[in-house]
Amino acid sequence: MTRILLSILALLLISSFPALAQTKAETWRYEGPRIGMDLSRFLLPYMQSAKRNGWEIQADIPYKGNLFPTFEMGMQWYDDKQTKFEYKNNGTYARVGVDMNIVKFESLKDHDFVFVGFRYGYSVFNQQTDNIQTANYWEAISTNLPRHDMSAHWGELVFGMKGELLPNFFFGWSLRAKIPIVVTKDINMHPYIIPGIGKTGGGTPFDFSVGVYYRFPIFRSKTIPKPIKMGGAKHPGLNNENDPNNPDYGGSQSGGSRNFNQDR
Amino acid sequence: MRYYLIVISLLVILFGSCNDGNRCYDSVDTLMVTTLSLNGFKDIKTLIIKGINRNDVGDTLVIDLTSTLTKSYPLPLSLSADSTGFVLNVNGATDTMYIRHSMIIKLISEFCGFAPNYVLSGSGFSSGIDSVKITDAKVNTQSIVKKTNDQNIIIYFSSSAH
Repeated sequence: MTRILLSILALLLISSFPALAQTKAETWRYEGPRIGMDLSRFLLPYMQSAKRNGWEIQADIPYKGNLFPTFEMGMQWYDDKQTKFEYKNNGTYARVGVDMNIVKFESLKDHDFVFVGFRYGYSVFNQQTDNIQTANYWEAISTNLPRHDMSAHWGELVFGMKGELLPNFFFGWSLRAKIPIVVTKDINMHPYIIPGIGKTGGGTPFDFSVGVYYRFPIFRSKTIPKPIKMGGAKHPGLNNENDPNNPDYGGSQSGGSRNFNQDR
Repeated sequence: MRYYLIVISLLVILFGSCNDGNRCYDSVDTLMVTTLSLNGFKDIKTLIIKGINRNDVGDTLVIDLTSTLTKSYPLPLSLSADSTGFVLNVNGATDTMYIRHSMIIKLISEFCGFAPNYVLSGSGFSSGIDSVKITDAKVNTQSIVKKTNDQNIIIYFSSSAH
């Protein structure tokens, strides 16, 4: 039984390494929706003194090769026991946006990319503060602030990378600058943490995300997506499809057909 | 590419794990800034301020035996009542003053906690005081960093009584 399990494991590992598993299917470029989980949400409880738990799923789908419309959603539970108060903040959030690949895919099999993108985020959450201790010359008091249902809208600028470590399995990270747009007002306290944004105290909130993703390879093609043109000066002969001296485009081949098999 | 992906990911995690520590850099003391004025050309030579009904050792809020015309004094307000009373002894004559206020508790920061914020709404006083003028009704943690000659209230004493 152990031997059978080891054999299956070995087969899975071997099939994961492209160099060891050459098949005819590799002449195709496979694309499809990618769904994953943000692992950093599970690391947060170990990085902060407060109890901060949550999860986040992320999904994207390629559009015209280099654009990736993205949807992300998650939940967060925050319980912060400070010496002079106890703060709870729980909520759900979602983000939509687009990532844009800024590097060139080298071959049909190459799905690694570096991206910039933006998100619009919306969060519905509540906050509650108990056992607030205050004292002065006159007396010491303990008070509570009841649960307050709130919401927030924000924008994000994103920079990151995603790479295909095993066939259809991706690993990636992103750094995010978050710009709160509208947050429900509370006369007693501005929430110092918002699900989906993170800590809000002082300056622009930054966040990071480290995730693993699985791509469902349901579309296939034989073309490498062209890099998105970012404008700027045009240089004669550079990336010119009709230039017979440009090796990227197969020299004098007619009809603009591209010889991608040169990468193989 | 994949090498950079993994190396940079580790750096990102390390960067993300940094925090600024649990330190409080802001004041949580909310004090009403008070200045005194004695009508006429008399000086306030001695000044003692206590909370009303606070007669224990250490309950004195202000003892100033020098000329006090240009000074301001930060006074604490009650956290639970809607008015606060003070006993003021000026040049040996004793007066009482009450300040009416409303209060909410407000978060200063995650690590500093909460502090009271007041809005002053009126005053009451004994015969040795001519009037109490509220110049800035909002009393918060920033009140004590007001500019010189800026205050929450001015107490005008009657020169005949002092």
